[in-house]
Amino acid sequence: MVAFPYYDADALNALNAQASVILDLFAARGYVREEPSVLQPADIFLDRSGEEIRRRTFTLTDLSGRDIALRPDLTIPICQRVVESRRKLPARICYNGLVFRHQPGEPNRPTQFFQAGVELLGVEDRTAAEKEVLSLAIAAIQAAGVEDFSLRIGDLALFGALVDALALPKQWRWRLKRHFWRPGYVESLLYWLGHGDSSAKLPGTRTEIEALIDTQGDAPLAGRTREEIIARTQERAAEAASLKLDVRVADAIARLLDISGPARDALARIRSLLKTANITLDDELAAMERRLDALHELGIDSSQVQFTAHFGRNMEYYTGFVFELWARDREGPVQVAGGGRYDTLLETLGAKGPVPAIGCAIRTERVLAAKGAR
Amino acid sequence: MLTLAIPSKGRLKDNCNAWFNAAGATLEQTSGGRGYRATLGGVPEVEVMLLSASEIASSLLAGDIHMGITGEDLLREEAPELAGRMHLLKPLGFGFADVVVAVSQAWVDVSTMSDLDDICAAFVHTRRRRLRVATKYAQLTRRFFAEARISDYRIVPSSGATEGAPAAGTAEVIVDITTTGATLRDNGLKILEDGVILKSQAQLAASLTADWDDDARIGARALLSKLDPASPLYAGLAAQLR
Repeated sequence: MVAFPYYDADALNALNAQASVILDLFAARGYVREEPSVLQPADIFLDRSGEEIRRRTFTLTDLSGRDIALRPDLTIPICQRVVESRRKLPARICYNGLVFRHQPGEPNRPTQFFQAGVELLGVEDRTAAEKEVLSLAIAAIQAAGVEDFSLRIGDLALFGALVDALALPKQWRWRLKRHFWRPGYVESLLYWLGHGDSSAKLPGTRTEIEALIDTQGDAPLAGRTREEIIARTQERAAEAASLKLDVRVADAIARLLDISGPARDALARIRSLLKTANITLDDELAAMERRLDALHELGIDSSQVQFTAHFGRNMEYYTGFVFELWARDREGPVQVAGGGRYDTLLETLGAKGPVPAIGCAIRTERVLAAKGAR
Repeated sequence: MLTLAIPSKGRLKDNCNAWFNAAGATLEQTSGGRGYRATLGGVPEVEVMLLSASEIASSLLAGDIHMGITGEDLLREEAPELAGRMHLLKPLGFGFADVVVAVSQAWVDVSTMSDLDDICAAFVHTRRRRLRVATKYAQLTRRFFAEARISDYRIVPSSGATEGAPAAGTAEVIVDITTTGATLRDNGLKILEDGVILKSQAQLAASLTADWDDDARIGARALLSKLDPASPLYAGLAAQLR
C-alpha cells in the first residue's frame, strides 16, 4: 500500500475493464450512473457527518475564502442532489469514482481510492430493497472475478428496538442507541444506569429552574433557547428520580452485545437471551431471518455469514442493516465491499421526512488485488 | 553544537531564566535585551535560541532544534502521537495551565461530557447542524471528544479570545487553556466536571527527529547533567535516540 498511488498502463487497463463489468451490471439492473464533482463545498461533509468523517476529509480554502473538500464519499453529495432536485422516488443511482481520505496515523494507506457503488432510495419494501442491494454487491464481486468471499452482517435497528423495549427515560434510550456501535462504552453507560449521575442535584420545578438560570447572571444561552434548557433540566430531574435498570435486563443487553458468530446460530442465541429478559423483538428478528433467506436464495450458505451484534460502520449515517464482504489478497483478509441502510440521511439533508435508503460501495482496487491473489 | 530553544517573552521566559539561574547556568542574551540568541554560562556546548512558545513546539516536531522548553499543551497539540517524534525530558514546575472543555453557566442542566453528548445529539436533531466547538486545540479536542464518545460536533478554529465565542455566537462550546478559571467565569462559562483534557506545565523536551550528531550528544549530556545532576536524564534520551 502506498499513500499516493500511481496507476501505470496495466493498472489502468485492469481497473477500467473491471469498472465496465461492474457498471454494466448496475445498468442492467436499472441503476443510472451519476457523478458529483470531486471538489465539494466543505459544509455538507462537515455539518452532516460526524467528526470521524471530518477528521479524514481533506479540506482546503480557495482564494475567495470558501471552504472546499475533496469528496470523502459519493453517497452524501448524491443524496443531497436527490433532495435538492426533488427527484421522483424510488431512485436507483450508481457511480464509479475516486474518493479521498486522510488516513490519520497510517501514513502508508492510500489517500485516494476508487469506489463503485449504488444507492437505492425511497423503496418502502425494506426486505426487497435489502435483497436487491445485497444481491448487486455479491453479483458485482463475482462478476469482477472474486468467488471466494464471506459476509459480515449486523443490524443497528435490532439494538434500537431492544433499547426501546426497556423501561428507561427517553434521554437514556437515545444515549444507548447513539453509542451502540462503540464496544465497551455501552457497558459503562449501563454502569451509570445503576449508579445515577449528577442530574440528581437538579431542581425539578419550573420556578426553581428559572431561578437557577437567573442566578447565572448574563451567561450566554450559547445557541440554545431558555425553554430548551428548562425542558431538559426537568427531564433530567424526573429521570434521575426514576432511573433504575433491572440488573437482569442490563445483563441481557451486555450479553447480547457480545454475540458474534455464524448468523443462524447467533440469531438463536439472541432469541433465547430475549426470552430470559422477557423482551419480544419479533419484527426485527424476522427481518434478519428474511435477509438470511434472501442470501440463501442468492446462493450464499449461512455458514459464510457472520453476525456480529455490535457491528456498525464508522461512517456514522447508517441506521439499520449493515453488511461487509470480505475476501483475501496476498497479505490476508480484506474488506472488498460494504454497505447498509441509512434512513435518516436524506432527512438531515433537507428532505421533508425519513426516506428509506440503502446503498453499498465496492473497493475496486481491493477486488483486483483479491482476484490477483488466487 | 546542541540547539536549545526557550520562550522569547512573557512569564514562561522569566520562569526559564529563574530555573536556569537556580541550576547555576546563567542565561546571557548575546545582543542586548531583544536579541534572539543567547548562551548559557558554564555550558559552552549549547546554543540557545529565543522563539515563541508555539514555534518551539513546531520546531521540535520538525527536528529543526534539538531541545526546547515550552508548554505541554502546545507539544501535545502539535504532535498527538509523541512516540518516536518527541521525548519529554522533565516537567519544570511552572507554566501550569489546564486545557478544559467549558460551556455557558446558563446551561444549568449540563455538568459532564455525557450531558454535552446529549446536547450535541439534540442539536443535530433540532437544528440540523452540528454543535460548534471553538478552540485552538483541534487535535487535543478531537482526541478527547473521541474518548468521550462524542462525534456530533464541529471544530471552529479560534486564534484568540476563544472564551468570547459562546457570547458572540460563533460557537456553542469552547476548549481553551485556563490557570485560575477567572477568565472563563468572567465570560459566563464553567468547566465540565470531567472536562479537563490536559493538566499542562512547561516541559523540557527533546526532538527525536533532529540531527543528533556527536556534538549535539555531547552538548545534551553537558546540559542535562548541569541542569539536573541527580537524574539520569541523558541516559533516558540516549535510549530513545538509538
